[in-house]
Formats: sequence, C-alpha cells, structure tokens
Amino acid sequence: MRLLATVLSLVALLGAGPGGALAASAAAAGTKKSAEERFQLYHGKALSSAPIKLGDATYRELTAVPRDYAVAVLLTAMDSRYGCQLCREFQPEWGLLARSWTHGDKKGESRIVYATLDFTDGRDIFMSLGLQTAPVLYFFPPTVGPHAPASPEPIRYDFTGGAQAAEQVHSWIARHLPDRPHPPIRRPINWMRWIVTFVALSGGLTVSYVAWPYVLPVIQNRTVWAAVTLISILLFTSGHMFNHIRNVPYVAPDGRGGISYFAGGFQNQYGLETQIVAAMYGILALAGITLAIKVPRISDPKTQAVALFAWASVLFIVYSFLLSVFRRKNGGYPFSLPPFM
Amino acid sequence: MSADLLQVLASAGKGKGTRSLLRVIILALIAGAAVSSRLFSVIRFESIIHEFDPWFNFRATKYLVANGFYKFWDWFDDRTWHPLGRVTGGTLYPGLMVTSGVIYHALRALTIPVDIRNICVLLAPGFSGLTAIAAYLLTNEMTPSSSAGLLAALFVGIAPGYISRSVAGSYDNEAIAIFLLVFTFYLWIKALKQGSMLWGALCALFYGYMVASWGGYAFITCLLPLHAFVLICMGRYSTRLYVAYTTWYALGTLASMQIPFVGFLPVKTSEHMPALGIFGFLQLLAFLDYVRSAIPSRQFQTFLWLFAGATFGLGLLGLVIATSAGFIAPWSGRFYSLWDTGYAKIHIPIIASVSEHQPTAWPAFFFDLNMLIWLFPVGVYLCFQELADEHVFIVVYALFGSYFAGVMVRLMLTLTPVVCVAAAIAVSTLLDAYLNAKSPNPEEVQALESSEGKRAVKSGLRSTSKPVVGVYGLWGKGMVVGAMVVYLLVFVLHCTWVTSNAYSSPSVVLASRLPDGSQHIIDDYREAYQWLRQNTREDAKIMSWWDYGYQIGGMADRPTLVDNNTWNNTHIATVGKAMSSREEVSYPIMRQHEVDYVLVVFGGLLGYSGDDINKFLWMVRIAEGIWPDEVSERAFFTPRGEYRVDAEATETMKNSLMYKMSYYNYNNLFPPGQAVDRMRGARLPEVGPTLNTLEEAFTSENWIIRIYKVKDLDNLGRDHASAAAFDRGHKKKKATKKRGPRLLRVE
Repeated sequence: MRLLATVLSLVALLGAGPGGALAASAAAAGTKKSAEERFQLYHGKALSSAPIKLGDATYRELTAVPRDYAVAVLLTAMDSRYGCQLCREFQPEWGLLARSWTHGDKKGESRIVYATLDFTDGRDIFMSLGLQTAPVLYFFPPTVGPHAPASPEPIRYDFTGGAQAAEQVHSWIARHLPDRPHPPIRRPINWMRWIVTFVALSGGLTVSYVAWPYVLPVIQNRTVWAAVTLISILLFTSGHMFNHIRNVPYVAPDGRGGISYFAGGFQNQYGLETQIVAAMYGILALAGITLAIKVPRISDPKTQAVALFAWASVLFIVYSFLLSVFRRKNGGYPFSLPPFM
Repeated sequence: MSADLLQVLASAGKGKGTRSLLRVIILALIAGAAVSSRLFSVIRFESIIHEFDPWFNFRATKYLVANGFYKFWDWFDDRTWHPLGRVTGGTLYPGLMVTSGVIYHALRALTIPVDIRNICVLLAPGFSGLTAIAAYLLTNEMTPSSSAGLLAALFVGIAPGYISRSVAGSYDNEAIAIFLLVFTFYLWIKALKQGSMLWGALCALFYGYMVASWGGYAFITCLLPLHAFVLICMGRYSTRLYVAYTTWYALGTLASMQIPFVGFLPVKTSEHMPALGIFGFLQLLAFLDYVRSAIPSRQFQTFLWLFAGATFGLGLLGLVIATSAGFIAPWSGRFYSLWDTGYAKIHIPIIASVSEHQPTAWPAFFFDLNMLIWLFPVGVYLCFQELADEHVFIVVYALFGSYFAGVMVRLMLTLTPVVCVAAAIAVSTLLDAYLNAKSPNPEEVQALESSEGKRAVKSGLRSTSKPVVGVYGLWGKGMVVGAMVVYLLVFVLHCTWVTSNAYSSPSVVLASRLPDGSQHIIDDYREAYQWLRQNTREDAKIMSWWDYGYQIGGMADRPTLVDNNTWNNTHIATVGKAMSSREEVSYPIMRQHEVDYVLVVFGGLLGYSGDDINKFLWMVRIAEGIWPDEVSERAFFTPRGEYRVDAEATETMKNSLMYKMSYYNYNNLFPPGQAVDRMRGARLPEVGPTLNTLEEAFTSENWIIRIYKVKDLDNLGRDHASAAAFDRGHKKKKATKKRGPRLLRVE
C-alpha cells in the first residue's frame, strides 16, 4: 500500500511540470517517507522555527501527493535586489501567523505546515509555477484522509488589497480548514513601545509641569485659539480630508511635459490644488477680517484710505481668481468677475 | 448733500414700531423666497416625490393617514424584505410622517381638501421657511446687530447646501430635521444665557421631536455636551449652565427614549455617553461649587479641583472598561467611520457604497456655499472678539461641522446652518462699519486717542485692542459696500443657478435636451413601475438591487426582496450573489426566495450613468463579504485590472446574471457587429448573451428599465438550458433514427 502511494506520488511529480531532473531527485528523496512521516518531520521543524524555510527539494517533498495534511506556502522575494515592497511588509505578519498557529497547536491536530520559499532558494519552483510576481500565498489542501476536499488543486490567496494583516490571512486559512482547531493569533507584547510611551509620557508631564507658567499664557491666549480654529476650518473646507482618505497625488503631469495643478473634473482634486484653494480662502478671510475689524480702527485718515483700498482690491481680485478656478473645475459654470473673466 | 439724503432715508426706519414691522415683512419675504426657490421641479415636471427614500416615507405617510396612528406604530410590513418582512413601525423615525399626518388632518378640519401627496411634496419647502426664521432667532442671540439675523435667514433660505435636501418633492427626514436642528440650538443658547428651566425644557421638547425625525440627532447629542465641556474647561462653569444642561439632558433623554427605534440606546451606546458623562460631571461640579462657597480656604480649593479632575479621569477610564467589557455598545459603524475614515471601506461596504457617504472635494464646498465659504472663517474670528458662552458654541459647532462635512458629503447639511450664521455675522459687521453715513472728525479722534491711548481696552484679541474710529472717506465706504453688493448678487445668482441645474431633478423623471433645444422628458421609471402594477399579480415578488426597493414599493406596489432600509446585510448580499453568479447558481436562489420578476436598470442605450452595471462592483463586493469563496471581485476584472463589458470582459462577468440581463437582445438594435454601449463607450461582442432561466417580460422605451420573468420549472423535467436550447431550435441529436417507411396518418 505504501509502495503504491509513493509510486503514485512519483508519477504525479514527474508529470507535474518542467524541471524533470530536479523533480526526479526530489521525488527520490520523497520516496523514503510516508505522508505521516513527512508531516511529523516538518511539524517538528516548524515547532523550532516557524515558518520553515524551504528550498527546491524540500518544497517538492513537502507538497508531494498524497498528503493527509495541509501546507501553506508563501512564495516571496525578500532580497533587496527585487525591490518587492509588499513582500517585506507582509513578512512579519506571516511569521507572526505561522508562529502563533504552530505554537498554539503543538500536537499538530490542525495538520497544517507553514512554510516560506524565497525566490533565491527556489528559482525553479517559481519558473515551473509560471510566477511573475511575488508574494504569492498557496494553500495546498490535503489530498487524502478525512479532510480532503473534492479538488486537490492548491488555492491562491489574493493580495489585491496590499499587505494584509495576519488576522485576515488567518481567517482565510481557517475557512479552508473546517472542523479543526484554529489557534488564535497572539501578538507579542511590544515592550519597547510601552517603555517609550511611558518615558515620553512622564517626560511630557515633567516638561509641562516645569513650563506651565510659560505655557499657560499661550493656552489662555485668545488669538492663538482663534488662529488654530481658523486654520483647521480652512483645512477642512478646502478638501483636506478628501486627500487624506483617497490618497490623491500631490500634483500630476499634464501630458505635455508640464505639471497640471488642477485636476480635471468636479469630483477630483490634487494635494497642491487644495493648498492653493486653502490659501485663497485664507487670503479672502484675512481681507474680510481686516476690513471688518482693523480698518475702522486706524486713526490716521491717509493710512486708513490706503489700507482700505489695498484690502478691498485684494478681496476682489482673489475672489475673481477663485471663481475662474472653479469655472475650470465645473465646465458649465456661468458666473465670473473681472479681471479673471 | 448725499449724506443728508441718506440720513433722511435712515430716519424712516428709526421708530421702534416701524422697525419691527419692517423686520417682519422682510422675514416673511425671505421665507417666501426660500419656499419659491425650491419649486423648480414642481414647475418643470409636476408635483412628484423624488428619488428613493422619499418614496418610502410617502408610502408610510399614506399608511398612517389611512390606518391611524396606533396601527402605524405597530406596523409590520410583509411587502418588503420578502420573506422576512420588516417591523416598520419600530424601525423608522416617525417624526416626518406624523408631521404631514397632522397637517393633513388639520387642513381637513379646516375643510380644505388637499391630497396627501401635495402635502408631502411641499413639506420640505414649507419647513425651509421656518428654518430661515429659526436661523434669524439663533443669530440674534449672537450679536446685537439686528441686520445679522436677517442676513442669516436669507443665507439659510437660499444656500444650495440646504436646498440640496429640501426641494419640493424631496420628502425626506432632513426636510424637517434641519429646522429642528437650528431651532433646538436656538433654544439651547436661550436656556444657557438665561439659566432658565423653561427654555431648557423647550429645548428638550424640540430635541425629542428631532430624535423622532432624523438619525442625525446624535449630532446634537454630542455637540451640546461638548459645548458644556469646553465651557467648563474655560473655567466658565455657572449655575446657568447647570440648569440649562441638566434640564435639557433629563427631559430630552426621556423624550428620546419614547421612540421605539431609539429605545434604550441613550443609556447603552457610546455615542450617547458624552452627554451622560457631562451630566454626571456637572453634578459633581455643582457640589464642589457649593462647598467652595462655604469654605474659603485656598488649599482646599486646589484640592477640590484636583478631585474633580481625578473623578473625570476615573469616569473616562470606567467608560473605556465598560465598553471593552461589553456593558456599553461601542460606536456603531456609521459613527465610527467618521473618525477612522478607512474603517467603512474595509468593514461595512454597504455604507461605503452610498455616494453621499464619500468624502467631500473642495469644489463641492464652493458649489454648495459659494462666498459663504470664505466669509465663514471671518464670522468665526469675529466670534472670538467677545467670546461669550454662545460664541463658544459657534466656534465648537464650526470646527466639528466642518470636519464632518469634509469626511462625508452628506453632512454638508449640518454644516450649512453654522456657515450661514457666521457669514451673516461677518457681512453685517462689514456693512455696519461701512454703511454708517457719519464720518469721524480727525481732531476728535486725536483727542480721544491721547486720552484713551494709554489705558487700552483689555480685550482678548490683539487686533481689537484699539478703539473703533470709523471710516473716513465716503468713496471708501462706497467701494466696500459696492463690492459687497456685487458679491451678494453673485451669491443669489449662484444659488439660483445651482438649485435650478443640480438639485431640482426628481431623478425618477429625467430631462434631456433635444438638438433643437426643446426639453425631452424621459419617463422610463414610471413607465416600468406602471407596467408592473398593471400586468403582474398583486403579490408578485420583484428582485432588484436595493436602490430601487422603495420605488417599487411606492410606485408599483409590489413586494420586494431588499430595499433602501439596509437593515439586513446578508439578505442584500444574497441578492448581490444572485446578480453576480452564473444562471445555474442564481436560479435556485431566486426560486428559494419566490422571485417572480427581476428588474435591472440599464443605461447603455441612453448613456445614463446611474445604472446597475456601474453599481455592479458594489453588489459583488457586498456578496463577497458574505460568500468569499463563491464570489470574487477579482474575477470581474481582466488580468490587466480593467473593468470591461466588451468582448474582452472576463468569463465570470459575461456569465453573470446582471451582465446577461443588461445586454440580452441588445445587439438586435444595431446592425450586426455594431452594438455599442454608449455609457461605457464599449463595442459589444457580435453574439449577445443567452438567457435560459429568465425570459424578457418588459423593456422600457429607452431601455433604462428591463424586467425579466423567472421561468417556472420545465414541464417535462428538463433543465432550463436544454429546454431553452430546444426552443431555439437546436434539437438534440437523436441516437437512433426512425426505421421503416413513412406512413401517412389517416384517422
């Protein structure tokens, strides 16, 4: 029976793809062990260091059919030469998931092995799978035994949303392992962060205690509060939250080698654009405040006349410009003021 | 000469009686302008209910008028969310319907026969007139200048930010809620200024009305405690604050708990906890205040304030622990997504899918508020001048209102009142300074300066430390006032233009221009709903995406599977799965839910952008949230990451029920190989999709609405694919040929 199984796995591997010679040698290694032995071997390895680092041969051995256990393999490219940002972001999460699962399930009741195959160690595997991108996460379901699903094909995890948190991948794997224990993720306590927070907090308290007499007038200063309020209002009304939520580009090329400052369309904007708009609102508000409060308080008639004329013109011109910018965003807008008709 | 003339003109309004009369006339005119600027759609189209949610409100109002209040309160609606039904009476805000019901019965009692539909259509414009008056009252509390209130009323009356939700026919909760919001704030300021229980109780009463009307009441629930808290932090605790706040909180909370939909939420959920916390904190402060007045020791006072601070901190800690232990429900997703702006997109796609929950780009602010947007900071700055308790309210409201409006387009509505109030304060300050015909005398000013220069008025703001002199030249006054008049004129033109062009479309009826400039009405929605009403059984279940649920219920009067009250995400995901799966998968789902007809909206022929193919990805996403193994958003994108409908669309896309229903028979309209989707500018494959389990029942004039009938099981027990293939004439190859000579059948 065991002989039959190994022969079957040999046949399967030989038929699996290109790189026949390697496959054969891997299969030769695989012939020595049964599925159960392989699981015990790799589970033992995983207990000491999860996820296991694989090479070409070990990859083939671990994923050889028949297997009564599941394998989750992350195919990644960590070397800085490949510049895989996503791989580096996901690696700690993957390690965390593998460790906490394996240590939560020391006896191997969930029958899953976590492994990682780096591109530098397993170039041929990448080639034989036809992979152009990394990272790729494969889940190999068991092919025999009570938990084997109908289709033995490996399932690929979708990395479309960027680097995923360990919890999301955990729930994905748990979904493919029904009726078995799913050890929860245990995030290690970040001692460094606690210490830093504590030190910063006590430092901040000390500084504020010492500086309190100097800080208090600033806190109680109405002009400071007015400035903070106005700046926040200008930020919010000029679409800063939109930039923050949508991650819009700061500026974009206009296709003729230059830079376009204003995005086309009513529902779009660039980072710089909102800053220009906020600046315009700010100038308009400043002109309004000056005209309303400061100018009537100037006691010298000549100075007052000059200030009045200057600020009223600034208000008019900037508002005219604002209307012209808005007309550019909203094609059919009919209103304008001189000089920016 | 001109100064004399001005004085003569000004003296005409000097008498107190004349002034009040003028003010009443102006307010009445403003209210009239507010109402009439909202009537574009009635004049252009007809008296019709708009959009989606209003159709449900209209249907509920009709139910209320027909069956009375108590039946309405206990209404279980079995014609929506088939087969679950909906406890409608307990899951809606009844304020709107009850308001129109009361108006209806009052008019009946006065023997004025009026259709309930007309009341519903005109309710929002009517209440906008009241909002203008409420804004007048609120602004008058802020500033001694009497013109500011009138300006605020005018701004609120015609600002597009408010008109967007209150045109005639927009029969939605917001229609009355904004009036209640502004009026509640007015009563709160009044109660706070006078420390009066009566005003506090009135505030609570209108707060209760607000809770009965709109889910946005949480804005008040959070803003009033915040205002109180800021006042306490500024060291402005007073018995006035204590009386106003405790009266409002105690009575208002009791009032809000009478609404079945709200129930015990005010004592159980996080968004109501600040109000409760400040209530408790005020009791403590009141006690400490009493002790302080009794014991004058200075050390003891320090101890007391430390004690108060520590109690506050402990209370906060207790709240956090109670929340994490589950005694208090954490922030509901809708509110939480306002703070953690990425939350909704990941966890609650159904909230993120709604277009009015998107963040606001800057053109939207300018579009909705025009020049008010830059007058707004000016007004807020002017509030810092005096910074009395009520001005703190404007500052706090302005900050939070603008944050919320920036995160969600829809909350522009709650920002608009404060923008109008602040802008009115700014404009009236400007006009008061520059419309004063009297010019100061330079010598007097010099004398005043020398006498008062040394002991400058100690004010909070640096810019107002000098005394007001006035404006000298008449030309300078004329310039500023003239420019202001121009800005105001542009503002009025802008508001009218925006209302007329952007906010007056009922969206049930579409209007387009023909090449010769005449207007062409596209009435496909009503055509299709009318067809449903007249050609289907009374209890035929209609499956459509949830956007159209209320309209089908209201206009076609047929049961639906899902509607715009998105209370059951799984049920919506079921519909999404049926739409995005292959026919073989969808058919059992439809049979299980007893679906008789499927309705899709298709804009390909007309170039109508709000159709189901454009919304399709959200259906996929919502379905994927529940069945991640069976529906995958990825499969609807080509390998290059494009969302396509033409020949290069993915197989999953082409086989999905939605795609098939949208493009079924579409290519027959065009010469072979010329079929074009005008919305997405895509050339469609020459051979259109085939449908086996559905048959086309109705397609509206411009193909916007397509209705399909779900086939019954085949009479001969075949599966639908082979039965349909047989009907198309693809006969099965028979294994054995008939042998023997042909016989003429003779009877």
